[in-house]
Order: sequence, then structure tokens, then C-alpha cells
Amino acid sequence: MSLENILTNWSKYRKGAEEGGFHDYEHMWGRVIDLNKCTGCSACVVACYAENNLAVVGKDRFADGHAMHWLRIERYWDEPDLGEGRVAEFQHHGASFLPMHCQQCNAATCEPVCPVAATYHTPDGLNAQVYNRCIGSRYCSNNCPYRLRYFNFFSYYESSWPAPLHMQLNPDLTVRDKGVMEKCTFCVQRIRAVKDKAKMQDRKVLDGEVQPACVQTCPTSAMTFGDILDMHSPGKGVENTQAAALWRKHQVELGKAKQVKQDPELRGYRVLEGLNTDPKVLFLERVREV
Amino acid sequence: MSSTQRLFSGRWSFPGVRNPAGRRAGLPFAAGFLALVTALFVLCVPFTATAGSTVPNAVPPEGTYAGKDVPQPIEFPHDIHAKINGINCMYCHTYARRSKVAGIPPTSKCMGCHSVIATDRPRIKQLTEYWEKREPPHWLKVHDMPDFVHFTHEKHLKRFVFDNPNLPVEQVSEVCAFCHGDVKNMTVAKKEKPLTMGFCRRCHEANNGPFDCWKCHK
Repeated sequence: MSLENILTNWSKYRKGAEEGGFHDYEHMWGRVIDLNKCTGCSACVVACYAENNLAVVGKDRFADGHAMHWLRIERYWDEPDLGEGRVAEFQHHGASFLPMHCQQCNAATCEPVCPVAATYHTPDGLNAQVYNRCIGSRYCSNNCPYRLRYFNFFSYYESSWPAPLHMQLNPDLTVRDKGVMEKCTFCVQRIRAVKDKAKMQDRKVLDGEVQPACVQTCPTSAMTFGDILDMHSPGKGVENTQAAALWRKHQVELGKAKQVKQDPELRGYRVLEGLNTDPKVLFLERVREV
Repeated sequence: MSSTQRLFSGRWSFPGVRNPAGRRAGLPFAAGFLALVTALFVLCVPFTATAGSTVPNAVPPEGTYAGKDVPQPIEFPHDIHAKINGINCMYCHTYARRSKVAGIPPTSKCMGCHSVIATDRPRIKQLTEYWEKREPPHWLKVHDMPDFVHFTHEKHLKRFVFDNPNLPVEQVSEVCAFCHGDVKNMTVAKKEKPLTMGFCRRCHEANNGPFDCWKCHK
């Protein structure tokens, strides 16, 4: 089933992209992150740790690159060189922040390499990771150009949530044990809850009804989450979402490896879109050549 | 069913999935790797039905009480309530139509009837004792799904009971019995049905249920 899913979806996507179409999606969850609003406060990171049962690995393992943060704030400096004779851990100004989480690529490079089909594309346009199917081959992580998949090299259950902290764990998703790959799911448990509720009430999902933990937490509302399927298949998915409006406004198109924009006021870009992964996360920041 | 479909139909390992209570639902990483090796081996040679059974822990977790008698604090007679008195399952398991879990009724619900009905029976005396001590009986969970499974009673009941106006109310318990066994003829409920992925799949196939992995796995 899932293997079949991968093989058909992958070829369908590749053909579909040439013809300007997509998978047979029910929704296509995507998001917009306005980097001019982002202050790098890391509230989203904390929210993600709380919502998704992320293990706190400790300083040493963090230094070894075993951190399990599904959402991380990457930091870049305008002038990396502090100047002669100036020694400081951080500069006083010139920091830019880039919140990075799974880009939920339409043509995800992690999917076709999984030997057991633990990662695949859902009809919601999400790049799924099925933990109980994962055998920990780590091919997906090695094939991800963004390095946004995290592997449980150890069992963190006892060290990360000593009693009574295990009582704070979110029951809507599993606590991953040693040997399992994990990554940002766009808070699929919240999407699932909202879709279930909508179905019980015989209505469609509304715009803004689904809010991942990071979007909900962001103090400056830098993130917008929503269904962007409406852009390409009007009448399907959630209509007139804020997120889709932003994608349209900044003239960023899905299924393209390079965006052609004349107006310098348009800011949207996607990370490493030249690799033709077709990510569904749009960053708003004018691309500057330094 | 082709051999690859059979391979991916869930009759094998669940490595490294742990639930919030700290029980290990799967097997360690080394055994997971063994599962990979076996899977590759199985892909190379013609698949036989017994090949998967060589993998340790290759069967889905069946829970603590599969097929066994359950030592509940009070020997609750489902047969008297549901069969002889014809009480609807959802009179007591009231959350089934509103939420993910069916729920165990609070003691107050039992006392709603049993403050006047059958007060001289030993089991009811036991119940009254709990009620007077203001302590809930610690019921044991019989049908316990693994933590990587998302199952909602709500949606299944909508599909098979509430969206099915031709179903007489007396037959609602047969819908429940499909997964929970013939509880009407048991005293303490036992786990009779396997509740494995194959069990779910057969019904989803027959009734056009969703087939997306992430619909049920979390």
C-alpha cells in the first residue's frame, strides 16, 4: 500500500509538475514565515518541544549533533568578522534569524530512499513519518538537503522526562525510542483533530482552524499556516486561506526550481528551491546578494 | 495480495516505539536492523507465509489480557445489563459517541440505579462500599491499543450507527461486538478479537475506509 503509494505518487508528481499539476491532494498544508517579523526569540522552539514530546538531550549530546529539535532557529551574522582586537561571543547587531523545520517538500528527497516505506506523502500533502514502521536506516536523513530529520541515537525517555515529568507528555503522539527517525509533522495530531471535528459536524475545515504549536505561540505572528491547494486547484481544499493569499501576493509558484520576479518589493523565497525539492514553506525576506 | 503488499501489511516488527507510561512497545534497534535484513532477504526470495515468523517480536503487540480472564475489582456482569435487561452499550459507555475513547462510567452512574436496584447482592454491596468510601474501583483496561495507533470511537459510530438510520436500536450492540466480541454473553469483558492492523484493514477494505498510514498511525 504505502510502497505503491510512494511509487505512484512520485512518478505522478514528476509528471504532474511538468504539466503544472500535483498529486491528487485533499489538502496541501503549507506555511509562510515572515523573516522581517521574526525576532529569533525561540518561543516556537519551546512550543514544539512541549507539543511533540521532543527529548531534551543535554549539552554534550547537543554538541555531538544529536539534538532532537524539529524546529531550530538558524542564526546568521551580517558581518562575521568582528574586527581586529575585538573578542566577544556574540556581535551586538547584524543577526538574521531563519526558523527551519521540515519543509514538507512536494518532491521530497527523503521519500524514495526509505527501504521500508516509513516515510511517504499523504493526501494532505504532508511528508509523513510512520514511527512504528521506521527501522532506523537513516537513508532519509542523509538524503535531506536541509538536515531537518533527527535520529534517536539513544533512548531519552528516562533522562528527558524523569518522573513526574512524564505526566506532561502529549498523548496524541508516541514517544519515540532509540533507533527511530523523526521530524516536524506540521503538528499532524492537531490537523487530524480539526479534520475529525469538521467531519463530525459535516462541514469543511475553515481557514485558521488548524494551528501548529509554533504558529500559535509566535509572539509576533511571523508564521501563517494554511491550506495552499486552493492556489492551483480552485474549489478543492480550504478556500481563500491567508497562507495561499501570501503565496500569490509574493508570486512564488509551486513546482518551479526558479522564481521569476521583476518587482523588488516582492520578498518570497524558498530555501534551496534550485534543488527541485519543491518545498511548501515560503520565507518572506528580500534575497540579498552580499 | 502480492508478496510486497503482504510484506507491508503490518505482520512484523514495531521497533522502538515507546508509550508515555514507559512500557516498551517494540524491540531494540539491533532487532530492528535484523528486521531490515530479513525484509531485504524476503524481497529477494519468493515470499512464503512463514518467512515473517522468523523475526523476533514479529507479531503485533496483543495487550495484557488477550483471551484471558480479567481480574477486575468487581466482577461486572455485562450479560445481566446488556442481554437480560437490554441496556444500550452507550448508556454507560457514554463517551463513545463523543470522543476517541468509549470511557468507563463513573461510580455515580452505577449508583443512579443501584442505590435502589438489587442492593442485597454481594457485587452491589461491594460497589456500595466503594461509593461510601468515595473511591473509584480501579477498573483494568481490556481493549488497550498500542500507543502508535490513533483510533476514534466517535467517527466509527457515526459511520456505522448514526449515519445508518435503518439500524434498529437493539442491534447497536452488534456494531460494538464487531471489535469487542460478544460482550452481551460475558460477565467481565474479555478481549476476544485480535485488534491488529490486519483486523482493522480487512474492515477498512470492505467498507472503503481510509488507507492513509497517518490516518491511524501517530
